[in-house]
Parts: sequence; C-alpha cells; structure tokens
Amino acid sequence: MSGTGTAGRDLQVVAMEHGWAGRFRAMGSPCEVLLENGHRERASSTIAAIAAEAWRIEDKFSRYRKGNIVDQINTANGAAVSVDDETADLLDFATTLYDLSDGRFDITSGVLREVWTFDGSDRVPEPGSVEAVLSRVGWSRARWERPVLCLGPQMEIDLGGIGKEYAVDRCIAIVGGSKCAPGLVNFGGDLAVSGPPTRRRAWKVAVEGVLPDSADHVIDLRQGALATSGDAQRFLFRDGIRYSHILDPGSGWPIPNAPASVTVAADTCTQAGMTSTLAMLEGDRAEEFLEKEGILFWCRR
Amino acid sequence: MAAADAGVTDMSKSSRKNDRSVSVTLAAATCALLGTGVPAPVDAQEEPKWDFNTSLLYYGEDGDRVQDASLKSIIRRLFADDKSLSIGFTVDALTGATPSGAIRQDTAQTFTRPSGNSAYSVPAGDLPLDDTFRDTRVALTANWQQPAGEKGLLSIGMSTSKEYDYFHLGLNANYAHAFNNRNTTLSAGIAMASDSIEPVGGAPTPLSAMLDVGDVSNRNGDQDKDVMDVVFGVSQVISRDLVMQVNYSYSYSDGYLNNPYKVLSLVDGDTGDTLPRTTPLPPDGGPSGQFLFENRPDERTQHSLYTQAKYNMDGKVLDLSYRYMTDDWEIDSHTVDVRYRWPIGSRSYLEPHVRFYTQSEAEFYRLSLDSSQELPAFASSDYRLGNFDAITAGLKYGWKTRSGNDMSLRVEWYTQSGTVPGDQLIGNQTGRDNYPDLNALIVQFSYRFSR
Amino acid sequence: MMKMRILSAVLLLAVCAGCSSMGVEPWERDVLAREDMQLITDPLEAATDDHIYFSKEASSGGRGFGGGGCGCN
Repeated sequence: MSGTGTAGRDLQVVAMEHGWAGRFRAMGSPCEVLLENGHRERASSTIAAIAAEAWRIEDKFSRYRKGNIVDQINTANGAAVSVDDETADLLDFATTLYDLSDGRFDITSGVLREVWTFDGSDRVPEPGSVEAVLSRVGWSRARWERPVLCLGPQMEIDLGGIGKEYAVDRCIAIVGGSKCAPGLVNFGGDLAVSGPPTRRRAWKVAVEGVLPDSADHVIDLRQGALATSGDAQRFLFRDGIRYSHILDPGSGWPIPNAPASVTVAADTCTQAGMTSTLAMLEGDRAEEFLEKEGILFWCRR
Repeated sequence: MAAADAGVTDMSKSSRKNDRSVSVTLAAATCALLGTGVPAPVDAQEEPKWDFNTSLLYYGEDGDRVQDASLKSIIRRLFADDKSLSIGFTVDALTGATPSGAIRQDTAQTFTRPSGNSAYSVPAGDLPLDDTFRDTRVALTANWQQPAGEKGLLSIGMSTSKEYDYFHLGLNANYAHAFNNRNTTLSAGIAMASDSIEPVGGAPTPLSAMLDVGDVSNRNGDQDKDVMDVVFGVSQVISRDLVMQVNYSYSYSDGYLNNPYKVLSLVDGDTGDTLPRTTPLPPDGGPSGQFLFENRPDERTQHSLYTQAKYNMDGKVLDLSYRYMTDDWEIDSHTVDVRYRWPIGSRSYLEPHVRFYTQSEAEFYRLSLDSSQELPAFASSDYRLGNFDAITAGLKYGWKTRSGNDMSLRVEWYTQSGTVPGDQLIGNQTGRDNYPDLNALIVQFSYRFSR
Repeated sequence: MMKMRILSAVLLLAVCAGCSSMGVEPWERDVLAREDMQLITDPLEAATDDHIYFSKEASSGGRGFGGGGCGCN
C-alpha cells in the first residue's frame, strides 16, 4: 500500500453497456468495480461504500499514514501496543502464514527495503549491510499475544502483502450483499467476483501471456478470485541473474529463481494472493508447489 | 562464514509439510480473518474454445436379443459473441436378434430370412427371433447457434444417418426469446426429415405372405418416409430454487411407416395355432406356416405435452418430468421421469434415476391374424406398438477431475412387460407367454473436457 | 385430438399469463446459473436416452425434437 496523501480520492461512476463501472485509486493501484444491476443511484451508493471501505483499510493499515495503528506499532521502539480486533485478526493471519511458509512470509521483513532498491539496475547491497538489517527482521522475535504486540526495537511491520487482497474480499462482500450483484471488484489486478454474470457464461479476465510475445490467456471466471504476485517492474539484473524483489527473511537476499509472476485462482482473493506469494517464495519449486495444491495457476518465468 | 551459512536456506532440510495441507490451513485461516463463513468454491478456467463430450454406451437385452455398443461424441467450437458450432457423430454396432412378430408354437418353426436367401428355425416353445442383422449405424449432426439481438437465441442444424437398410436426412431450426427479466423464455422449433428405407431383399407387399427361400416376387424395392416435428415451449423461473418448462410437440409422419421385416402369424380361428403351409417345404427351405407381412397406415399424427421441473433443495437437485403422448393410431402414453442429484463433496455426485412408462396399444395392434375373420386393412404385432409398462431404474456417479474435466458412469436396468388385450387371445394362445417382454442393461461412460 | 389441442393451448396460455409476475431478480440467479440446474444438464445422456426409447417405445421426444432418423422402429 503506497501513496502519500489523501489527494486523488475521486470517485467516478460510468454507465456501461450492461451495468455500471466505478473507478478510484486506493492502496497505490487503480481500482475498478463492475456492477451488473441496479439503477444509477443504487449503483453509485454501492460503489461509494466500496471505495469508502478500500480507503478505510488503506488509512488504517498503510505504513505511510502517520498516527494509524501500523505507525503506532512501528514507532513503539520496543514498547507493547494494544490492537483492535481487526488488526488482531490480521496479525493472527500473518502468524499462520509465517508458520505455513516456514518463516519465509514475514511481515517484519519490510525493513530490508532500506538496503535493497529494485529498480532494474545491477546495484546489490554492500556486504554487511544486509546482515546489519537482518537483526531487525523476524516475526519470531516479536511477541504477539492477542491483543498485545511487542516488536523488538527498530522492528517494523508491513501489511502490504495482505492488505490489498483483504480489501478486495471485504469489498466483494459488499457487492454480494447489495441489489446490484452480480459484480466484480478489481484492485490493480487482484480481483474477485460475487458470482457468474447474468448475460454471459462468465466474467472474462485477461492474464498476461507466459512469454513476452505470447497471447494473453483469457480466463472465464464464474466464482471466486484471482490474484497475481509478480516482479514485473521490481527486480534487479546482475551477472545474468534476475533477482526478484521477493526477499528471504532468513538470508536477507532474494529467493533464488523465483518466477517472474504467478497468478492464482482461488475461492477468495486473500487465498489467491497468499497462495501466489507462497508460490513465489518457493523459488524454482513454485510450479511444483502449485500443482500439488491442485489449483488453477499461471506461472511466468 | 557463519553469517553466510546462516544465510543459506536449505529447502531440502526444512520441515516440508504435506503441501496439500497448505491450502486447507490457508482456507481455514482466511475464513477466520474474513469471518464470512465458507466461501463458494472457485470456478475459473481458461476460456475454452473447444468442448469435447464423448461417451461409450453398452445396451444389452437378455435372451440373445439386441446388443448395441455405441460411441458418441459432440465437439463444440465456441466463438466470440456466444456463437458456437457443434458437430456430433455416433457409431453404433448392433448385433442380436429381434422378435419377428410371429407367435410361439408348441412345435418347431422355420422362417425365410428377410433377404429371401436362406431360412432359419426356431425351437418349439421359443419366441421367434430374427437374428439376421449385424448392423453398423453411423450418424452425423451439425448445429450452429448464435444470439439474435439482446434476448434471442437462434439455432439451425442438420442431421443424417446411414445404416445397411436405412438412410436419414433432416434439417432443424429453433428460436428462443427471453422475456420478463429473463424469467420467461418462449421457444419454437421445427424439424423436417426425409428418410429412405432400403429393406434387405426389398420392401414386401403389405399383408402378403412370407414366401419360400429364393422367391422375391412380392418385393417392391425401396420406400420413402417424411417426418415433420414442431415444438413450442415455455420455460419459467418460479423462484430462486425452481425452474419449470412446458412443451407442446406435434409430429406428422407420411410415407412408408411399416417395419418391412415384421410378420404376423395367420392362425386357426379355434385353436389359435399357426396355419401350416399348404405346399411341401422346398429343398432350399421356407416358412413352416403361414405368415403375413405387417401393414401400418401411411400417415401418423402425434401430439405430446411435456412438463419438467428442476428444484434445488439445499444443493441437491430434483428433476421431475411428465410427458403425455397421444396419436391417431390410438396409442396413448404417459412417462414420468425422476432424477435426484446428490452432491458428494465439491467434486462428485450420485444421481439415482427412475422412469415409469406406460402405453396403450395401437388400434391395429394384433397378436396374430385370425384366418376365420376378414383380414383387417392394417395389422402389426410389433411389441413396440402394444400395450405395455416399462420401468427404468439406475444410478449415475459423476466426478470432476483435478483438471476440471467431467466424467460420469451410469448403470441402468430397463424392463418392459406387456399384455395382449384379452379379446385378441384365441384358443391355445391363452395362458401362453405371448408378449416379448424386454429386459435390458444400459451402461454408459462419459467424458467431457474443454480446451 | 381436438380436446388435446384445446387443453394444450389453454395450459400454455395460462402459463404465459401467470408468468409475467413470477420470477427472480437478476441478483438472485446464483442457484439457477449452476450446471446441474439447467433443464438439460447432460446433453449426451439426453440424446442417448431419446434414441433408446425411440427404438423401444411408440413415443418420442417431448423435450426437443424426436429422436428420429433410424431404422429401428
């Protein structure tokens, strides 16, 4: 979740051939809501409720907002912080993911960005600088006993890896509960549908082709969600090796041989997003991991 | 050194949980996070351009009667804008015998084969079955479907089939229109067919006698038949869980409607036994008694009313249908069909099926022909035109493979039991098992996948 | 025959007349969109059954066009 201020919080509602489209920006991405039914007033209020929820989540969990719960945690400098239920749920979830990935998915690994800049260049960190930062990384170093979180000094949490997908799921529930359903919520490529569309067999979603010049895959989505983890813009290239921006919190270095991008279809956007992230963290075993899960995925290397 | 070692993540040594449990744990964790209950299972697939639906069928009647092995396939190519082209082909390999229409006797009987080239014999007490046919049938269908405006759907198609003694060619068209927020659909369709019957040996003159081997003097070559079917239907969404449909069909057939191979036994007015032949049996063989080829009217008009309901009961689906048919041959029939689809987990289902069918006999249905009475204009002892009840009972098991393809296996038992109207039984026929009851096993395996 | 025709016409008209107020809103079509809630769920099985019963009984069709096109009757 990036983006510095609350500027750019416009909301656009346009009529489509069938239904309505709402557009706004949240969590550093262009966000789109498609609704098949309802008249303009109802569609507008549903879209407004969705945008409000997306911005609420952004304001509450973005590490760029001064004074929100994440900021309080990140500036506590070793002191204990008491959190509310929603934050506690996310921290419990992050703990499960930490265990599930044998420590590779770690919300405290964000500080490694201080030594790594994934700008497509070949500038890797100075020796020793990674190790210096590593002492501030490790969810096992944090003490999380709901509802109290106590990070070590100079440790920070970053919920960017969970936040967007979580927001999509919260927002698709708003669609499902409205009279404007069926609908689709798409936050920068992480999307979910409330159900099959009425006039066609399925929602059509294009996923980038596996090779740069191969055709996009068109996916028929009737239920569930799609999420993509990828390094399209954020990588380093040095000595013929591509270093993805997915860092191993244990070593502080990028996971070797991670795919360029992984797109996963799952029941919810959160599951799709986490599965694609876990797949990336498997490096060269990404496809093997995804096949064993028995889910639909597209892996680009 | 130590730092470098610590930095290496040795994946082979890390405690690799069973990967399958990752998605299960993740699902549970997500459930806890979102707090919205178990989500509906994802339904996503690469936009299919092709849809392949294939099945292998075995149909087998007991008592050395008809057995059929069939391969059927429908290949569908999907185009943009919801247009599609379907090509279907079916190959049937048929063997086995079928009742010839003659009645059982307490003595052995012989009959001339339809080709006129040889004869076959039937032991005393047995139902006369003609096993001449080992036939292969090939059928081809093509169908184009496309939306017509916002709410319409147009479909046009053709069908053709060929077997040793039969050729069919047909065209059909159907239009459906959605109303009332897509809750109501009205449809109308028409099919026209032109068929040729090319009986082995030639079509016999109706009500003429079965002749000796080598004698084809009563044969008349090939015949034609035209059929027109019209269907009008309404389908209606009743509630979130219930949809119903009602169809009215009209069918008109015109031309050669006889079965060229079926005969009736000409019997004595008192004993009910088949009249013996009047001349000695020639060396090449021939019929042991007097048999006449059947005759049906050269027109038939049928009306049907069909209604179906599909009802969702908490994930299980009940499919109930009823059809009433009546025609100008005085046949009336009722069909009740019940299916219940019971999902097992998210990937498979069990579907028991029961069908009840009953029909009354055609006006010209006769078990045999009474030689002491005047011959009727039309007569047939074909069991398919008689008075019978039939029951089908079966079970189907279907599953979705990991790659999202559908497979199913169904096993069904079909049984027919008929009765001859009491006033048709003469003498020794009473008390005999006259009606060729049918018991058949149906096994079908289907495989469907999209690409 | 005439009675049959009148009955069918009345039934279809009654169904049509009653239909205009019945139904569900578009967002309530989730169950109806399922494969197993389509009027013909398995077209191959339906075509197979139509053909078997056309060959062994005197009635045909109902759902669509008659099985037709075979010398088995």
